[in-house]
Amino acid sequence: MATITCREFLSYLEPWMEGERPQDVQAHVRACAHCTSVIKDLEMIHSEARGWNPSEQDAPERVWTALRELLEQEGLIRDKIPARQQAARGQAPRAGWFAGLFPRLPRPVLAGAYLAALVAVAFALSGPVNKRVNEARWLKGTQISTSPLSAQLNFAEQNSNSYVTRSNPVVAASLHQNLAIVDNYIALCEKSVSEEPQNEVARDYLYEAYQQKADLLTQMTERGENVQ
Amino acid sequence: MPEAEAIRLAQQGDAAAFERLYRLHNRRVYSLCLRMVSNTAEAEDLTQEAFLQLFRKIATFRGESAFSTWLHRLAVNVVLMKLRKKSGNESSLEELTEPDEDSGGPRRDFGGPDLRLSGSIDRVNLQRAVEQLPPGYKAVFVLHDVQGYEHNEIAEIMDCSIGNSKSQLHKARMRLRELLHEALRAQAREDRKAASAETGGKD
Amino acid sequence: MSSSHFVPAQWLPKANWKTAGLLVPSLLLCSAVSAAPHRQEQHFKVAAHPVITIHNPNGLITVKAWTKSEVMIISTPASDRIEVDAEQMGNRVDVSTRELSDSVAPDDMRADFQINVPEDAELQIHNDAGNVSVANVLGDMNVETVAAGVDLEDATGYLTVKTVGGSFTCMRCAGRIEASSISGNFRLLDLRSYHVWAQTSSGNILFNGQFLPNGTYSLKNYSGVIEVRFSPGDSFDLSATSLKGKVNNEAKLTPPPHQRHFMPRWGNALFGTFNEGRAKIEMTSFDGTINILKRD
Repeated sequence: MATITCREFLSYLEPWMEGERPQDVQAHVRACAHCTSVIKDLEMIHSEARGWNPSEQDAPERVWTALRELLEQEGLIRDKIPARQQAARGQAPRAGWFAGLFPRLPRPVLAGAYLAALVAVAFALSGPVNKRVNEARWLKGTQISTSPLSAQLNFAEQNSNSYVTRSNPVVAASLHQNLAIVDNYIALCEKSVSEEPQNEVARDYLYEAYQQKADLLTQMTERGENVQ
Repeated sequence: MPEAEAIRLAQQGDAAAFERLYRLHNRRVYSLCLRMVSNTAEAEDLTQEAFLQLFRKIATFRGESAFSTWLHRLAVNVVLMKLRKKSGNESSLEELTEPDEDSGGPRRDFGGPDLRLSGSIDRVNLQRAVEQLPPGYKAVFVLHDVQGYEHNEIAEIMDCSIGNSKSQLHKARMRLRELLHEALRAQAREDRKAASAETGGKD
Repeated sequence: MSSSHFVPAQWLPKANWKTAGLLVPSLLLCSAVSAAPHRQEQHFKVAAHPVITIHNPNGLITVKAWTKSEVMIISTPASDRIEVDAEQMGNRVDVSTRELSDSVAPDDMRADFQINVPEDAELQIHNDAGNVSVANVLGDMNVETVAAGVDLEDATGYLTVKTVGGSFTCMRCAGRIEASSISGNFRLLDLRSYHVWAQTSSGNILFNGQFLPNGTYSLKNYSGVIEVRFSPGDSFDLSATSLKGKVNNEAKLTPPPHQRHFMPRWGNALFGTFNEGRAKIEMTSFDGTINILKRD
C-alpha cells in the first residue's frame, strides 16, 4: 500500500474527524505518533466542549421586560386581537394534519421524516432471506411494509403537485419530469430487489432512489411555500 | 398556543403571540449569545437585540426555513456584528474571518517540540482559547461542539453549505489546538522561570 | 417607477400643437423606457474571504474574480415587478430577488447578474432556472439549481453542486468536488482535484482529468454512460460495477492479489490496479455503461 507523509495526512484530517478512514491514512496514523497526537488533541477539544454546561437557561426576565417596552415604543405590538375580528377575517379551512405538516417542517426535517420511514423499510427489507422456504413470506412481508410508505410518498407527491403548478413553468416541468424519472427508478429497483433479495447493490440503489424522491418532494413543497 | 399560530398572530402585532415566541426560543438564543461573548450583561443585550430584530422583520417571514433557524441566523448575525465592532477597526475585518492559512493546518507542527495537550485541556483554558477565535470560527465551534447543532442545521443558520460548516469547524479546532499549545508553552516558560528564581534564591 | 404623463390635447393652446406633437411621443417613450427593466450596479467593500450569497429564481448568473477588495453586482431584472436586494452585513453580502407584488407572472420573475468578487470569496448560489457560470474564484462554493446549468472554470476549494435537471461542467478545477443531480449530465475536464464525488441518476458522467496520488474519485449513476479517460502515466486502483449494463475497459489492470474475494456477486464488474495504484477510482451504475478509455 502506498504510504502518505505527515504533510499529506493534514489534508485528510478534516474528513478523518468526520469519520472517513481510508486504509492508507489509517496505516499512517498507526505508524506516526505525531499525527496520532494531533487527532487526540482535536478529539479532546471536541469532547471537552461537549461537556460545557449542557443545561441551558432562560434569559433573565428583565430582558423580556425591556424588549416588551421597546416593541411597544416602536408600535410593533398591540393587545390581543378580539375573537370576533378573527372570525370576520374568515380563516381558510385547516388542511388535513398530514398536508398541514408540510408547510411547517423545515427541509432537513421533512427529508429526515421520509428517511426515518425509509430506515424502517430498510430493516424490513434486510430481514432473514437465507432459506428459500422463508422467501415468499419475506417478500410478502416487505410488500406489506413498503405499501404504507409508497402510499405516504404518493400522498406527499399529490400535495406537492398542487403547489408546484403555481411556480415557474420551466422549474415545475423539470421537477415533474425528474420526479417521473425517480419513480421509474424506484419501480425498477423494487422489481430488482424482489427478484434478487440478497443483492445489496440493488438495495442500495433503491434506498438512494427513495432518498432522492423525498428530497425532490421537499423541494417541490418549498417552492409552493414561496408562491403562496 | 402552537408556534405556527403564534407566528401568524405576531405578524399581525399580537402581544401575547410575541411573548409566546420569546418564551419558546429565548433559552437557546441566550445560551448561544452567552457562549459567544462569555459575559452575561452583553449576552442579555444581544438576546434583546436579536429578538427586537426578529419582531421588526417578522412580517417578512414566509417559511422558507424553520422559524428557529431564521431566528438563530439573526442571532448569529447580531453577535458577529457586535464582535466586529468590538475589534474596533471597521476597515480591517480579518478578525471576523479565517486567518490567512490555506488549509487551516498548524504551522508549528513540524520540527518543534511536541508538547502534549492531554491534562491541560480544561474548561478554563479552552474557554480562554475560544474567546480568542475569530468570530466566524467561534460561531461554528459553539454551534456544533458546544450546543450540539448538526452541520446541516448550522448550514441553515449560517446560510452556508454543509461542506463549509465542516471546513470552518475543522479550522476552528485546529486554531484552538494552536492556541492551547501556545498557552502550554507560555505556562512551561513561567514554570521554568519560577523554578530558576527559587533555585537562585536558595543559592 | 415613473408613470406616463399624458397631456390631453384639448387643454393645449392651438399654437402648441406642434410642440405637443413632439412632446407627447417623447413622454410616451420616456415612460416606456422607465417601465422597462433597469440595470442596477452596486459596490461593496469587503475584506479577505468574503461570503456572497445569491438567491434568484431564474436568470443568468455570471461570477468572475478580480483583484479588488470589492464585490460588484450588476443586476438586470426582467420586469419592474421584481426587485433585487443586496445587503451587506460585515464581510458578507446577501443578494436576493423578490417580488414587489403578489401577482408576478413567472416569466417576469427573472433577473440576470454579472458579479465580480475577490478571488478568495466564498459563494452560495441558489438559482432555479437559467444558468450559473463561475470563473477563477478560489474560495469554497455551493451551487444549487433545479433546471439551471452550472459551469465552473478554474475554481478551487470545497465545491458542491446540486441540481435536479441542470447539467454541470467543471473545467480546470481543484480542491474537493461533490456533485449530485437526477438527470443532469456531468463533464469534469482537466481537473486537479484530490476528491471527486459525482452522482447522477439518468445523466452521463465524463471524467477527463488528473488522478492525484491518494485522490478518491467516485462516479455513480443509475443509467447512462460513465466514462473516464486515462494516460499511460496514471496510477490508480479501479473498481467498476454495472449491475445490468456493460463495462468496457482499455486499461491493462493487475488483478487484486486475492481475486476470489473480489469476484462480483452481481452484474458485470472489474477490479484491478493500474501502475502503482496510487489513486482510487470507483465507478458504479445500475444499468448504464461504464467505459475506461485511453486519453487521445
